[in-house]
Amino acid sequence: MRIGIDVGGTFTDFLLTLDDGTSEIYKTLSTPDDPSIATMRGIGEMAEKHGKDVADFLGGVDVIVHGTTVTTNAVLTYGGAKTGLLTTDGVRDALEMRRGIREEQYNNFYKNVEPLVERYLRIPVKERLGYSGETIIPLDISTVEDGVKRFQKKGVEAVAVCFMNSFANGEHEEMAANVVREKLPDAYLTVSSEFLPSIRFYDRVSTTVLNSYVGPILKHYLDALIKRLGEVKFGGVLLIMQSNGGVIAPEIASDNAAVTLLSGPAGGPVAGIAYCDIQGYSDSITMDMGGTSFDTALVKNREPFVTTVGEINRLRLALPMLNVVTIGAGGGSIGWIDEGGLLRMGPKSAGAKPGPACYGLGGELPACTDADLVLGYLDPEFFAGGRIKLDKSKAEAAIKTHVADKIGMTVEEAAAGMYNVINTNMAAAVREVAVKHGQDPRDFPLVVAGGAGPNHACMIALELEIPVMIIPRESSIFCAAGMLMSDLKHNFVRTYATMLRDADVNKFKSIFEEMKTGGIRLLKSENISEENVEFIYSLDLRYLNQYHEVSVEIPARLVEKADFAAMAKEFHPKHNRLYGYSLEEEGTGVELINIRLVAVGRTKKPSFLEQEFHGESPEHAKKGERRAWLPKQKEFADVQVYDAFALRNGNRLEGPAILEQVNTTTFVTPEYNVLVDRYGSYTVYLKEKEKAIRKRIES
Amino acid sequence: MAKNKIDKILVSILQRRFKSIVEEMSIAITMTTRSPILCEAQDFVTGLYDAHGKMLEQKENLPILSFSLGPVCEYIVDFFGDDIHAGDVIFHNDVFSMGNQNNDVAVYKPIFHGDTLVGWAAAKGHQADIGGAVRGGYNPQATEVWQEALRIPPVKVYEKGKKKKDVWGLIFANIRLKMVEEDMTAQMGSCTVGERGVQALIERYGLGVFDSHKQYLFDATEKMMRSEIRQIPNGVYEGEATGYYDGKNPGSKYTIRVKITVEDEDIHFDFTGTDPQTPGFVNGTFTSSASAVMLTFLQMVNPDIPHNDGMVRPVHINIPEGTVINASYPAATTYGNHLCPITASAIQRALAPVIPERVTAEWNSLLCSLSTGMDPRKGEPYVDICFMGLKGGSGGIQGCDGYDHIGMIDASGGVLDQDYEMFEQQTPHRLIRHELWKDSAGAGKWRGGLGVTTEIELGGEGNKFITFGEGDVEPPLGHHGGKPGSLNKIELHYPGGEVYHPTTKDLVNDVPAGTIYYQEAGGGAGCGNPKERPVQHVVDDVRNEKVSVEAAREAYGVVVDPGTLEVDEAETAKLRKP
Repeated sequence: MRIGIDVGGTFTDFLLTLDDGTSEIYKTLSTPDDPSIATMRGIGEMAEKHGKDVADFLGGVDVIVHGTTVTTNAVLTYGGAKTGLLTTDGVRDALEMRRGIREEQYNNFYKNVEPLVERYLRIPVKERLGYSGETIIPLDISTVEDGVKRFQKKGVEAVAVCFMNSFANGEHEEMAANVVREKLPDAYLTVSSEFLPSIRFYDRVSTTVLNSYVGPILKHYLDALIKRLGEVKFGGVLLIMQSNGGVIAPEIASDNAAVTLLSGPAGGPVAGIAYCDIQGYSDSITMDMGGTSFDTALVKNREPFVTTVGEINRLRLALPMLNVVTIGAGGGSIGWIDEGGLLRMGPKSAGAKPGPACYGLGGELPACTDADLVLGYLDPEFFAGGRIKLDKSKAEAAIKTHVADKIGMTVEEAAAGMYNVINTNMAAAVREVAVKHGQDPRDFPLVVAGGAGPNHACMIALELEIPVMIIPRESSIFCAAGMLMSDLKHNFVRTYATMLRDADVNKFKSIFEEMKTGGIRLLKSENISEENVEFIYSLDLRYLNQYHEVSVEIPARLVEKADFAAMAKEFHPKHNRLYGYSLEEEGTGVELINIRLVAVGRTKKPSFLEQEFHGESPEHAKKGERRAWLPKQKEFADVQVYDAFALRNGNRLEGPAILEQVNTTTFVTPEYNVLVDRYGSYTVYLKEKEKAIRKRIES
Repeated sequence: MAKNKIDKILVSILQRRFKSIVEEMSIAITMTTRSPILCEAQDFVTGLYDAHGKMLEQKENLPILSFSLGPVCEYIVDFFGDDIHAGDVIFHNDVFSMGNQNNDVAVYKPIFHGDTLVGWAAAKGHQADIGGAVRGGYNPQATEVWQEALRIPPVKVYEKGKKKKDVWGLIFANIRLKMVEEDMTAQMGSCTVGERGVQALIERYGLGVFDSHKQYLFDATEKMMRSEIRQIPNGVYEGEATGYYDGKNPGSKYTIRVKITVEDEDIHFDFTGTDPQTPGFVNGTFTSSASAVMLTFLQMVNPDIPHNDGMVRPVHINIPEGTVINASYPAATTYGNHLCPITASAIQRALAPVIPERVTAEWNSLLCSLSTGMDPRKGEPYVDICFMGLKGGSGGIQGCDGYDHIGMIDASGGVLDQDYEMFEQQTPHRLIRHELWKDSAGAGKWRGGLGVTTEIELGGEGNKFITFGEGDVEPPLGHHGGKPGSLNKIELHYPGGEVYHPTTKDLVNDVPAGTIYYQEAGGGAGCGNPKERPVQHVVDDVRNEKVSVEAAREAYGVVVDPGTLEVDEAETAKLRKP
């Protein structure tokens, strides 16, 4: 058995997959003070359901994959460790100044972000390396010692070391680090030249500090979790989700805590790959709409897109992470009228408390869920399986006061407008994630997840002319599912600056070999045998004299042949797609800057249980009819409601339709039909695509 | 749906799409240009315009550049008339046909849907060189435009998709650096990104729907702007501010005077009475000065107003020709963008008594330097503007401290410091110090933003230093009892020990390697009585060495023990007694 655990802000989601391929979904309330409590409680519930005590139950569990937002929350709430920074004299304020940006230029009330290390704990160290790593001022160790003394006095728990130009030479940093190790042996330590040896001082200092700031929090949390699991004799493998969509051993995560900072939505694209595989798609767009935020990502050739220029809370995080676009759109997003009389949705959210007006918990502003209720998509008696009763009159009152009356519409028209606007916002995010990579969203199936996602997906797809959606049966705990499908992943980067065509073949190959050896070593320590190891090769390339690179994936055969001309051929079209031109014809030289390798340890994936063909008729799953708004036709109609869980392989139904599950509701607009695939996922497709879709699913 | 029926939802979609397209265009420039002025500091703007040259949306890293893109686009439409074709690419920088500054060179690309001209994509960036007497452009000795730059009135460099090699060759034969050719190519790429985006939109929705909804968006935006202006009491408000030294005559000064008339939903900025143009390069163009008006005023209204033609309609600007902010042909004008802080101060002084809750205390004025010479490591010339050194603090406002190290109001935090390590790769210089400057901010209940001090050891050969800016005479003024900010300064410490103090408009030749460049960029002014600032905020600033123990006592009336940081409550109460 395998367990995927996704700790969220409100709920902790669990997916248990059994050896026969079936799976079970569990959800418990999160416990933010010590998230391992909710984790253990959920495991307890599973054991109970299976009639075993926890130790017995865990005896049958091989793998637990765990995603945590403890580091994310530590940054967002300034709840990280008290951190000190040792940095070159003269540049200690780079961390706080953030290159002097004010993101909202016309807003004089917009404040800078508080730095994670206050100025009095940013210690200037006398030393200096030149631009190529040569020593200009030798390290004055006494300035390090004085700094460390201040750290001791002020109760510093974590230290970051980041010197100018240390990407080219780590000696000074290493000498300073040794003082910290000796004098502050319990402090969590991050040394920039080991952690992120790449050029750009602000990026490096910010990322190094982030790692130290969240390191002790993650380490403490994982230690507690391992201890609790040890108490109940868990003998399997525990793996931790990273922002890059891969998993790693907890010991490695503890030392590189920043790799988990944006791991929350990272399970999504991985799950998307698995669900699309079933139907033979190698590309997809995933979307996950929860209570406050909407995450979307692009998958191409079974690989999600990765970026190295991310941010968390406006602080630079220069580590590989899945390129997930997040916007403020969810069931709690609030509708309002701006000064020009235009209807807007979000980014403000009603959150869990007070929640949308229809929750009856004191919320007075109209949220997306209120509109969904008024439009008939939600059953007031069956929200969250009936655990939360929705009050339609409160939803109507909120929409009337704050939206409808202000623009002279009826409540229902206003609700339809809210539904449309939020769908447009989400569609724009989906488009952005596709367009950013020069892709046309119409070419991709949309994989839909999150509690609110299936209710809105058809209109997002229609807006973008996306013909096919896949809504997994486990869509409400999508990320937990993704975690179980993740491979082990280690990223390596080495700088080798040269004209690509002049690169030294031996050096080029030996850099890759060296990184491969490192990858194999790490993966071995994580119990991955060599036949399950794979490598992904890429190069950061640019035209001569440019200062930013395009990361281009290179097929293994070109690396083996060291065919530099063919590598450049991969670069030109990508540059044109992204930036509107290529200099291939002009013959402008292509420069190589970085060589990158991802070492992947393929893990055993849970197998899905194939359902027997159940016939086309969905009659057995019919629950009744409900009056619901058809957005394109702009009218209410009686819409057939189905028990989604009762639908089986081969069942086919026509839109408009509503599919109800305990944790989510799917609204199928009249433009689409639904076919259940052999693993129980709902494939929603444009009516005119019927033939092609059936062929694909049935083969 | 009837042909002219407006789908309000589609209006929102279009607005969002325009915004994301100009952002994609901006990313393309950052990622592909060579000059650090563009790829590091982001001294460029992008925009989309309709077939008539009316603004659809802009990405305004440097707003002072932005608001001339539209007027030039209208000029180009008029100039070429029906001789505009798919595949054309037009260059422009000419300040006497609506350009804002010689070095800010724009690329315009018409967007066609079938045979119909439907819009324009534009990208303008500050080029590392544009010919003229001095590499890098800023020539403080210039008295006419030809000494400053190659003039590029609207000129096609591509026609119907074919490169006009002769024209291209002529332009770049008059520009010193190969890099500029590459960066203009990158700007063309950015316009192609914009062109593809708009074409996809029109393919999706159809031209009729696109046009009618665009018009509706303009109208909705105009309505928003009008409702903002309506919140300002009707009346006539006057303000003035002075700059010092025209680069020619020691002791000279020039005053910008504005009369602002608010009439219900319209606002008029009339600069009649402003001093005449100067004999040197300290002169503005109409569009750079109009940009200064827009960007200052936009900080006083709802920052969420979409940026399109509708936003500009209720704002009326009159700048008489022959004044220092609208100089007559063929004046030298390269300095013009940097008159923005003075124009901004004049406007702020006029409106501060009327809408005090929306006007900041004064910002640090820009004082800047450009260095150029040979980089012996590469055997190539380099050009860099010292963006990190010039960025001072903004003024405080009721409810919010000023922003530390934000830089000139012309950009308001849209232009970035060079990354330190990239700076040492791209120039032969070495950064010694770049730090927040203690006690530089004007004290106040809401203090000003801190300035910075910068020290750089120069490398290179044949280095020239050009200074341009203000802020060495009058510090920025505080509001409502807040204290003034601090002054700007640049010094060159030669290896022999001699110290040279450049003027604010200077050209210094043959600066040897080993010279230490030292700069102070001042802090912004404070807002409100400093003795009302919460004691804890003062103590935090002392702990973080942003305010000294002495200043805490004298300016804020807070007595702090320098060792323990404990507050002497009794003494503090005494000093803070009104």
